[in-house]
Amino acid sequence: METALTPEGLSTDILAIANMPVLWVLALGVFAAIIVQSLVYMKAARKAGPAAEISEEELKTSFRAGAIAAIGPSLAVVLVSIALLTLFGTPAVLVRIGLVGSAATESASASLAAGTMGATLGGPDYTQAVFVVAFMAMSMSGAGWMLATLILTPILRRGDTKLRRVNPALMAIVPAAALIGAFASLGLAELGKTPVHILSVIVSAITMAICITLASRTRATWLREWGLGISIIVGLIAAYIAHTSGLAPAA
Amino acid sequence: MSSADTAITRDASLAEFDRTTSRWGQLTMGVALFLSLAAPLYLVLFTDLGITASMIWTAYLAVAAAFFVLWFVEPITYYPVLGPAAMYQAFMIGNIANKLLPSALVAQAAIGAKAGTKRGEFAALMAICGAAMVHVLSMLFFVGILGTWLVSIIPTDIVDVARLYIFPAIIGGVLVQLVVTMKQPRVTVIAVVVAALVLFVLVPAVPALAKPATGVVVLITAVLAWFLRSRKAPATPTTLVN
Repeated sequence: METALTPEGLSTDILAIANMPVLWVLALGVFAAIIVQSLVYMKAARKAGPAAEISEEELKTSFRAGAIAAIGPSLAVVLVSIALLTLFGTPAVLVRIGLVGSAATESASASLAAGTMGATLGGPDYTQAVFVVAFMAMSMSGAGWMLATLILTPILRRGDTKLRRVNPALMAIVPAAALIGAFASLGLAELGKTPVHILSVIVSAITMAICITLASRTRATWLREWGLGISIIVGLIAAYIAHTSGLAPAA
Repeated sequence: MSSADTAITRDASLAEFDRTTSRWGQLTMGVALFLSLAAPLYLVLFTDLGITASMIWTAYLAVAAAFFVLWFVEPITYYPVLGPAAMYQAFMIGNIANKLLPSALVAQAAIGAKAGTKRGEFAALMAICGAAMVHVLSMLFFVGILGTWLVSIIPTDIVDVARLYIFPAIIGGVLVQLVVTMKQPRVTVIAVVVAALVLFVLVPAVPALAKPATGVVVLITAVLAWFLRSRKAPATPTTLVN
């Protein structure tokens, strides 16, 4: 553990700082930005609707269709977010997992950041200082996506052909390799920890495999979006049973 | 009015729409970017935890090494589907592949608009607005209010165990989901072999590589996957995480 940390920095009461009122205000600000954006866009769409050959009625239908289609996926994100509340506190979960990022990228970022502090995400060494560094690092990484969007969108809009001429094979293989590489590395790293960690990884993986199989073989396609939430819950239940029955090293 | 005049007003109207959406899109995204960085920065600067700049940069480098490719690839990949206005929505609301794109497709189908047309673009934009409203409200209510309350009443021993094992419980599912949706068996095998070699052979031999290990795996996997790619199969666009 780094030596610069103060006694406060070594406290493991994450929620004491993760749920501070200032963070709530900033998180609500991000929500407000999204709401303002949607309102401005809808007004602009209604004004330019005739020029785009789309009627006011069709705009309303589109809004409603999008809203209804989003209910299932949104609630699936809610389930995953609630599971992560104890790790990051409500404001960070709302912004990072609920909005900008996803459960996969943000928890991966946090785990990587905690690793550089010599700590395990959620472990006995997951102190306030580790949480803050992880929160900072995942927010900076999330800013990467937003900055890229802010920079690339105007360029793509001008129809810059250079970006579009990027080799399609490169665009298919490199991101897939980067993603699978990152998550395979993080997954295998968990297998090097306690037997309960190994069990959680395996149970979660098997649960996901079952959900995906059922989603493609039966009519239960909703299992595709709920798969992650279900896998996390089943994985945690297995971990709880194993942990309380003494599989874990004495804490 | 002659047909030429109508065409001019139509173009002007669409140009104004583009101007409004990109100006407000950039502005609102800029505000969200600032606020999302301000939260952790506040904790770094105004709590007395003894966090140093070098701790933050070390952590950031480890995270960036794993994800920097995606920062650029995801916006480029989604642009043709989303169009400029919706780009600023999508990368702020998140969950693009599993929520926003399906919403946009459903809306286009509902009014019989084709993707790539102005009608299609407007339908997608309205659908994403609808999805955003549902998402914002359900996050605020179910996570912000109910979730916070739920965590406060769950016994602490359960909370402690959940916190301890939440990451392995996420990573197992995410990995299987990625491997299945990507359908890139060759890349998967390369990634797993490289990860195993780096984590269980290289890092024990060279402990200095422990911190950037995931970045090293990503880099080697990407290079190997590129040079060992199948030259026969046509390239298909990939499914991404956000």
